Amino acid sequence: MFGRIRNKSKSGRNNSEEIVQTGSYGPIPPSADAVKASLNEIFSNCCDFILREIACGKNGAIRILVAYIDGFVSKNELNQDVVRPILDFLANEESPGGSSIYNRLTDCIVVNNDIHEAADMHQAVDGIISGEAVLFIDGETRALVVGVKAPQGRQVQEPDTETSIRGAREGFVENLLTNTALIRKRIKNPNLKLEMMHLGDRTKTNVCICYIKGLANEAIVREVRERLKKIKTDAVLDSGIIEQYISDNRLSLFPTVGSSEKCDKLAGKLLEGRVAIFCDGSPHVLTVPYLFVESIQATDDYFDHAFFATFMRLLRVIALTTSTLLPAMYVALVVYHHTVIPFKLLLTLAASQQGIPFSPFVEAMLMIVAFELLREAGVRMPKPIGQALSIVGAIVLGEASVAAGIASNLMVIVVAITAVCSFIVPPLLRASMLLRFMFLIAANFLGILGIAFVAVAVFVHLCKMRSFGVPYMAPFAPLTVNDLKDAFIVVPIWAMITRPKILRQQENVRGAKGSQRQEVNIQQ
Amino acid sequence: MMEKTQISWIQLFLLLSGFHIGSTVLLSPSAGAGRDAWLAMILGGAGGTLLMWSYAVLSMLNPSKTLVEILRDRLGKIAGTILSFLYVWYFIHLASLVFRDFGEFLCTTTYLETPMVVVIGLFAVVLLYTVNSGIEVLGRLSELLVPVIPVAISIISFSLFTINDFTAVLPILENGLMPVLKGAFGAITFPYGETVAFLMLFPHLNRKDKLKKTVVISAVLSTLLGLLVFFRDLFVIGGDLIGRSTFIPHLTSLLIPEFNVEPLLDINLLIGGGIKISVCVYAAAKALCQITGVQDYRGFTRAVLTFAVVLAIWAYDSVLELFAWTQKVYGFYVIPFQVLIPLLLLLLSLIRKGKPQGEVPDKEGNNNAEAVNA
Repeated sequence: MFGRIRNKSKSGRNNSEEIVQTGSYGPIPPSADAVKASLNEIFSNCCDFILREIACGKNGAIRILVAYIDGFVSKNELNQDVVRPILDFLANEESPGGSSIYNRLTDCIVVNNDIHEAADMHQAVDGIISGEAVLFIDGETRALVVGVKAPQGRQVQEPDTETSIRGAREGFVENLLTNTALIRKRIKNPNLKLEMMHLGDRTKTNVCICYIKGLANEAIVREVRERLKKIKTDAVLDSGIIEQYISDNRLSLFPTVGSSEKCDKLAGKLLEGRVAIFCDGSPHVLTVPYLFVESIQATDDYFDHAFFATFMRLLRVIALTTSTLLPAMYVALVVYHHTVIPFKLLLTLAASQQGIPFSPFVEAMLMIVAFELLREAGVRMPKPIGQALSIVGAIVLGEASVAAGIASNLMVIVVAITAVCSFIVPPLLRASMLLRFMFLIAANFLGILGIAFVAVAVFVHLCKMRSFGVPYMAPFAPLTVNDLKDAFIVVPIWAMITRPKILRQQENVRGAKGSQRQEVNIQQ
Repeated sequence: MMEKTQISWIQLFLLLSGFHIGSTVLLSPSAGAGRDAWLAMILGGAGGTLLMWSYAVLSMLNPSKTLVEILRDRLGKIAGTILSFLYVWYFIHLASLVFRDFGEFLCTTTYLETPMVVVIGLFAVVLLYTVNSGIEVLGRLSELLVPVIPVAISIISFSLFTINDFTAVLPILENGLMPVLKGAFGAITFPYGETVAFLMLFPHLNRKDKLKKTVVISAVLSTLLGLLVFFRDLFVIGGDLIGRSTFIPHLTSLLIPEFNVEPLLDINLLIGGGIKISVCVYAAAKALCQITGVQDYRGFTRAVLTFAVVLAIWAYDSVLELFAWTQKVYGFYVIPFQVLIPLLLLLLSLIRKGKPQGEVPDKEGNNNAEAVNA
């Protein structure tokens, strides 16, 4: 059934192909007037399109058109590096013909370094709409594209979604080149490869595959390239769209593509031999392959003492289990397995249940849905209001629902703990939210056994999944003893000599064994 | 020929161990010997290990061949096919027995008002998904779940540490050697001999050289774990109750002061029993698929599982009948499947190995062609 849906979604985009390829505008006409006319037609009703004509040389014999989009290019740079030299150098020239002017422009007039040739109108228009200035010369069928793009978007700042105590505060921004520069800054190595491609027939979004040659598995890089090429859509607005197209299990609740806003985290992933995908316009950078164990890893773990890191890992595992299972376990125990609950607690429980008109299941459902509503409201509200509202809402709802006899005290505690735990493992937040409901329903029907049945099904699903050919549950299943050093237990960084083996990198060893002991006795 | 899926030796080890513990967490196979059952378990363990080792040798002598292929190879097409069908029946029957044990236990201890068919049926649905996910996934699943069993067992054992009576083991051999031998025989057929189903799985092992080692280690460790559990039970509830109660580990766990660990036992049973049924169903479906020459075994799993569920419910009227049958008939019923046919095949394989390779290639070639068709 799912296969059919998938096929449909693949074929659904085919007709966009025609719309796209209308972009061939033919060769560039030699006459400046013809160029002017055709550009004005292409950019009709675009108030931000600017076309300036320079007539210099003796009697204005040399005519040059400068075309760009306002606000997109740095005008200062354009004036200083392009227009002024032209006016200075070509002021008194006889016209020697378009082609020789073009060569002089590229060789010794245009100051800017980032120049390339546009052979036809299509490439020229591409240059203009991607924020570059294009020079057309009268009598020449080539145009000169000059990169004078103005820096766009916000400054590099700490990402709101992923905060950490140790580690860099820099987060990615919307501009792709800023992001790649941030990575280059951390990995100063020419083997850090960045392959650019354009996705989205209409949006022409720049997408960049990034990996360290010699580390990343070539087969995975090839697979990434192929999957990206297969994307047929007219708009790529965010890396989230790419993520959905290239995921292995498109209908799975669990993520098989990672995303991060933190530079140091991404650098770490690249150095483990993973492949990153940058998408222009999105601060979230994707990493593949993404395994289950990565969701309980955090950058702090590697910068901190290994014992604390291990403790935090265990806490995260507990949090993940709690946030998924706690309400279901509570309902199962109360409804089916009273005998398991210690007697004194059972008394308290019975007392708190008294006067509640609903079954524990309905009660749990109500409270969890109420919590999810609050959470969602907190996300959507403008920031200052949102926080106040969610806190006040939670207190009022929690207190009032107990006082009004809608929910029991214990249930409020259960839901509160669940809610707190659910934020500890952000990558699995949504998966655990939906699973919570599944487990809850199963618990209401069959108690612990129901929970166990669903758990087995979830485990089977997890064991079945792969991310870019790598088993999702590695290093636990299949067991890779070598990689357990960075799973539930974190060994100190100087003992983490090899990279995760399951990714099958070309080079597995990080550093020499000797680097872990350097005792110097200063007194001697 | 074969599916390309492979499992590692550690996965096979865990599958074997889970298969072993699957039913023994619930029933003590040699409990008939009362307080001397530990002797029976040691004897049975030794015999069972030997038996399992011979299965491994059989599989090594016929590399990358499943039981069905070995049967057809050694006994000719007609006899081999008939015996293969009998094995399919046996695997299904075995699965249904585990289903019934599972259902009986849950419906007598925790889910008193739930019809057994609901419990078993839902379990079957989960297992259908598991088995259809393939042997590779089953192996990985065992890596995640089987380690839970010893953890749960040790939690229960440590909780009972304060109420042990170590003199319960005495007197030794009060009723003579006969009950012990009987118990040992029961132990060989009950968990050890049932691993004959693994003859359908052994070809999937990615490193054949480790097969014997894996099988023997698994058998020994499972025996030790079984002994541990038995001694715990014996020291806690005494020799008299051991001989008389049905679900011994459950009874023991009820004695933990101020705490009830029933769900832990349920989960153990679910994991062990689940692996046991999955392996049996996989073996049956795979055998059917090779007999009929169908490409994919997945077409058969639904039918096999449904049949096993129906059999589990209809074959025995009550738990008493089930136990009487297991104690009196089961031991003899399984001898051909577990001992006679495998040993015959082993013998034939050894003879063929001793012979010069003159006439073999022709036969081999034929069979390979057949296997390709299958």
